[in-house]
Amino acid sequence: MNETTVIKNEELTAEEKYQELGNFIRENREKRGYLIPVLYKAQSLFGYLPKEVQKFIADEMNISVSEVFGVVTFYSYFKTQPVGRHTITVCMGTACYVRGAKKILEALEDKLGIKIGETTEDLRFTLGEQRCFGSCGMAPVIMIDQDVHGRLTASKLDAILEKYK
Amino acid sequence: MNNIRTQLLLCHGTSCMSNGAARVREALEEALKEANLEKEVEIIHTGCMGICELGPIMVVYPDGVFYQQLKPEDAREIVQEHILKGRVVQRLFYKKPKTEELVAMMEDIDFFKLQRKIARRNCGIIDVNTIDDYIGADGFMALAKVLTEMTPQQVIDEIKKSGLRGRGGAGFPTGLKWEFAAKASGQPKYILCNADEGDPGAFMDRSMLEGDSYSVLEAMMIGGYAIGANQGYIYVRAEYPLAIERLRIAINEMKKHNLLGKNILGTGFDFDVEIRLGAGAFVCGEETALMHSIEGKRGEPRPRPPFPANKGLFQSPTVLNNVETLANIPYIILYGAENFASVGTEKSKGTKVFALAGNINNTGLIEVPIGITLGEIVYNIGGGIPGNKKFKAVQIGGPSGGCIPAQHLNAVVDYESLKELGAIMGSGGLIVMDEDTCMVDIARYFMEFIQDESCGKCTPCREGTRVMLEILTRICEGKGKMEDLDTLEELSYRIQDTALCGLGQTAPNPILSTLRYFKHEYIEHIRDKKCRAGVCAELVYAPCTNSCPASVNVSAYLAYTKEGQYEKAMEAHLRTNPFPAVCGRVCPAFCETRCRRRDIDDAVNIRAVKRFMADQVDNYLACFPEKNRKNGKKVAIIGGGPSGLSNAYFLTMLGYETTVFEAQPKAGGMLTYAIPSYRLPKNIVDKEIQALIDYGVEIKTNTIVGEDITLDQLRKEGYQAFYISAGAWDSIMPEMDNLENPRIFSGLEFLSRFNRKEKLDVGKEVMVIGGGNSAIDAARTAKRLGANVTIVYRRTREEMPADEAEINEAEREGIAISLLQNIKSVKSENGYLEVELVNMKLGDYDASGRRRPVENKGSNFNKRVDSLILSIGQKPALSELFNNGEVNLNRDQTISTEKGITNIRDIFAGGDVALGPATVVEAIGDAQNAAEAIDFYLTGKKRVYPWRVKYPINVDFDPEADPVDYARSHDNLIPVVERGIHDEVEKTWSKEIACRESSRCLRCEYRED
Amino acid sequence: MKNIEELKLMREKVKQDLRLRSGQHRIKIVVGMGSCGIAAGAREVMNEFVTLIENSKRSDIIVTASGCFGFCAQEPMIHIYVEEQRPVTYRNVDIEAARLIFNEHVLNNRVVEQYLFSKGKK
Repeated sequence: MNETTVIKNEELTAEEKYQELGNFIRENREKRGYLIPVLYKAQSLFGYLPKEVQKFIADEMNISVSEVFGVVTFYSYFKTQPVGRHTITVCMGTACYVRGAKKILEALEDKLGIKIGETTEDLRFTLGEQRCFGSCGMAPVIMIDQDVHGRLTASKLDAILEKYK
Repeated sequence: MNNIRTQLLLCHGTSCMSNGAARVREALEEALKEANLEKEVEIIHTGCMGICELGPIMVVYPDGVFYQQLKPEDAREIVQEHILKGRVVQRLFYKKPKTEELVAMMEDIDFFKLQRKIARRNCGIIDVNTIDDYIGADGFMALAKVLTEMTPQQVIDEIKKSGLRGRGGAGFPTGLKWEFAAKASGQPKYILCNADEGDPGAFMDRSMLEGDSYSVLEAMMIGGYAIGANQGYIYVRAEYPLAIERLRIAINEMKKHNLLGKNILGTGFDFDVEIRLGAGAFVCGEETALMHSIEGKRGEPRPRPPFPANKGLFQSPTVLNNVETLANIPYIILYGAENFASVGTEKSKGTKVFALAGNINNTGLIEVPIGITLGEIVYNIGGGIPGNKKFKAVQIGGPSGGCIPAQHLNAVVDYESLKELGAIMGSGGLIVMDEDTCMVDIARYFMEFIQDESCGKCTPCREGTRVMLEILTRICEGKGKMEDLDTLEELSYRIQDTALCGLGQTAPNPILSTLRYFKHEYIEHIRDKKCRAGVCAELVYAPCTNSCPASVNVSAYLAYTKEGQYEKAMEAHLRTNPFPAVCGRVCPAFCETRCRRRDIDDAVNIRAVKRFMADQVDNYLACFPEKNRKNGKKVAIIGGGPSGLSNAYFLTMLGYETTVFEAQPKAGGMLTYAIPSYRLPKNIVDKEIQALIDYGVEIKTNTIVGEDITLDQLRKEGYQAFYISAGAWDSIMPEMDNLENPRIFSGLEFLSRFNRKEKLDVGKEVMVIGGGNSAIDAARTAKRLGANVTIVYRRTREEMPADEAEINEAEREGIAISLLQNIKSVKSENGYLEVELVNMKLGDYDASGRRRPVENKGSNFNKRVDSLILSIGQKPALSELFNNGEVNLNRDQTISTEKGITNIRDIFAGGDVALGPATVVEAIGDAQNAAEAIDFYLTGKKRVYPWRVKYPINVDFDPEADPVDYARSHDNLIPVVERGIHDEVEKTWSKEIACRESSRCLRCEYRED
Repeated sequence: MKNIEELKLMREKVKQDLRLRSGQHRIKIVVGMGSCGIAAGAREVMNEFVTLIENSKRSDIIVTASGCFGFCAQEPMIHIYVEEQRPVTYRNVDIEAARLIFNEHVLNNRVVEQYLFSKGKK
């Protein structure tokens, strides 16, 4: 199942991806209720489900784009935007909150030009928040991938982000 | 030829895998090869064994030795020492929480010993990568049995007879569910397995599929046969890649062996199963939503009826069973319904798997017989609460469940009793919460979760939970109103009645159950703007201050002490607490238990810094807050202990004329007459009382109110309000004969006679009964009088109410402590006391969540001593004061108060007289509340009280700098041999140590703006 | 797998494999596997017992290793623990002795005096 997670199949061209997806749909045409497995396949190929891919699926499966869209947006697993190479999680737990986690979050949103839940255009960062990851002594903290960065101020952010290409 | 003599069962569950089980396996393989053992020793890749935080874990069979927290480097040692030479590797053994005792065998670890495995019977034992082990463990024999020996109706009857109920939440009888679908008309029929485990903290389905997918698949086939379905779907959440992989392997293996497909086992039965992945929508755990999702649609629920048994997946008759429910089926078929039903309670049969998480020593997966008590789960299997914290509640059943507080630890875990207590069995998330958990915040957390996951189809769930979340957020921010509580309750009931699906209908449960058991926490948030757990950011200045009963500004005096500005430090302290030198010696330091520095290394030694600070300053008068102009109103304070004196001090600060009436020749109460001088020198007490007199507090000693003067006389003299702080001076004595003896003392009597400098002859052997601070004080005092002393306490050491440090010092001074013993009788014989003791054991749980001691019948024995000190409890002595019972008392004879207010308008009370025996700092907290209540009573106005104000701390602080890395400094105790009868055991620190310790403070009060 | 007989056959074949993990046994053979024991042939003895158990089709007997018993000159040494009986220690156990002890003591509960070292406390 690892293949469904993030961007893989970089060796495939867009055309080949569409071709594979088309084959997958045709192979399973007989099965009932197969839209969700198809969406999984598509996300594993493309990394996320942009409008064009959704339209392709609708056409191939002979259903309306709005049906596909309705299903895609219902399930949080399906992404309509790509996910970045690094995930930044801002701790919003009590200790961090009183030590200015909000300011850190605003500064990150400013620097990266994205909001919570979004990804930068260059696919470098995705931004998220969490309640507490038990590093209250170092508040405020953020986590980038698996690394915890504590005692933060907005001014320290640049140097830290620099380490994640 | 099979020459395998040893098998290494290496856990390959998600948790162990992410902790490096695969690398451990490689290292083991290499080490076995090196030792030429690869033909004699086999490594088995099992599923999750349950005790996830110890991973990677391994059991060596046939010995049954259990190794934990393995690293690849350990492999060689295990092979060379244990496997080759039979010498077990002790350093990899399991350590018991608290005692740190090493346990070698898996079967001796309480966590495993007390479980009963039915659903998880193969988990952690069979190899997950091949079908062989499952078949070896009687796999598919149940299927073979139903296909060849039973009719579908017989299968259904067997399941009905077993009493198996759905393990996914509501507990509907499984056999009945099957029967409905079997009887429904229409083809095809479907059997579905719900593995869309979405509750936060729940992972038993994942582990079941990872450890033994075969059981679940076999059960689906049996169910399919029973209801007449030939197609199954197993709906797994996509977040479980390993479970999905194992399922795929299992399905492939089964297909390879013709155990899926056409004509299974030559019986003519066809069955196929398909995996469908959930896609991150919590609501898809609801049956109709799940079916929509399998159909490829938005996973929205629909109203029932029609029920899925008639119109389910693709409008066909459908059964949906949860993973754990199914895992029980092959066992029931193979071993019989009676066997299964012999486990459990009357209405709930079998076992239940729980995911044990939160503030508990052994987190992980457990399978327990239904009917076990909560206490057994938390303490015996779970190993109790880490860090000596107090247990507060368990949350069972996730967002649809509720919490159960300490007073119900004896509750049995079954469907009915959990429901009665406001929780549900649910899918089996069991989160243990300690005193650091805020129950309002927990309710908010679950509501946030529900809001996120509400599918939005019906209004009650979509809008109702949004409003409830808003209210809860408001309360957590200190902006709540008392009416909010009614609104919450009303909304809850409305949503329960009107929401479309189970998710919505159960969404209010976390709120209702926290309101039921923890309403006081809601009220504190709203009325007092206080979050006792220190969680709600807006209500917490700093965790230390928040947890201090007198709300002393710890950061402030630490910061000023660090700078050497002792007067400024004292100013900050004295605003809330006029007894820094006393508290610096005898405070149990609630602040330190919450100190955030513990996350880094250890709490700041706040009490010792306080002591240092107070000892640097002689002129308190210069540090006291300025007094308001006199307002001409008089208040009488009855009882001159710490609470009364503090109350007089606070009222004097506000401009009142205060008189403290003290029965004894000296003021100070317990400080003067109970706490021995080796802990609290009397000149320190005198100094702080004198400072209060200088500030304007008037003290009349040798005056017993009720005897020398009555309340009515005082009223006539112009006293408009009374603060009763008469303490708890009546010793509670056991009900037994022969206590009239000069060598039998109550703890308090003994201490107070000693403190009055009476000469006491206790003889050579002294026994002290009790486990509180008075008992320890009495024991250490008797020891100082030259006796051999034994403390006898009826529970275990962990339950002793005395300060840990005091108990330790008592032991270091050579005092013996006999635990789990109690006194039965005493008689005097030829100048000795013959004490009859009895051994005790811990029974069920009392209202405080502690286990009740019960007698071990027939274990009585006698002990001969010279003196006996009974220190088992204290209560107020109010007879002179209220002989007509005008003030309402609690059952334990304390005065019933609410924020210092009693049932009589002009009478207020606090300290031990209201709390029962408590601490100095709690007495001072009571004095603050009562001062506010008295002021409001006499002026009719609310105002900002000086002790509530937090002034800015004028000390430079760089929030970006890393914390200093000094370790916690120890108390400066003099060696045991140098401890004379009145010598203070602890010495004040030097300036260097005190300043260094203060600098360890993280300044949690500091705000970014 | 075409029918239930085949399933049962396969079960019998793999069942042995699970026996070790049952945690249940009535008789335990402990082979001293200190360095001197191994040098004196304890490993071969151990393997012999594994084979003997296997062939006996008994599921209530296990063999495990332990450290040096402390009488190097008498190695290889073994203990036999039978439930509810005093443990028995044998000395100088070679492959032949192993077979004899297994047949006599383990299977038929007759102590083999020839290799007897001591009888212990219950």
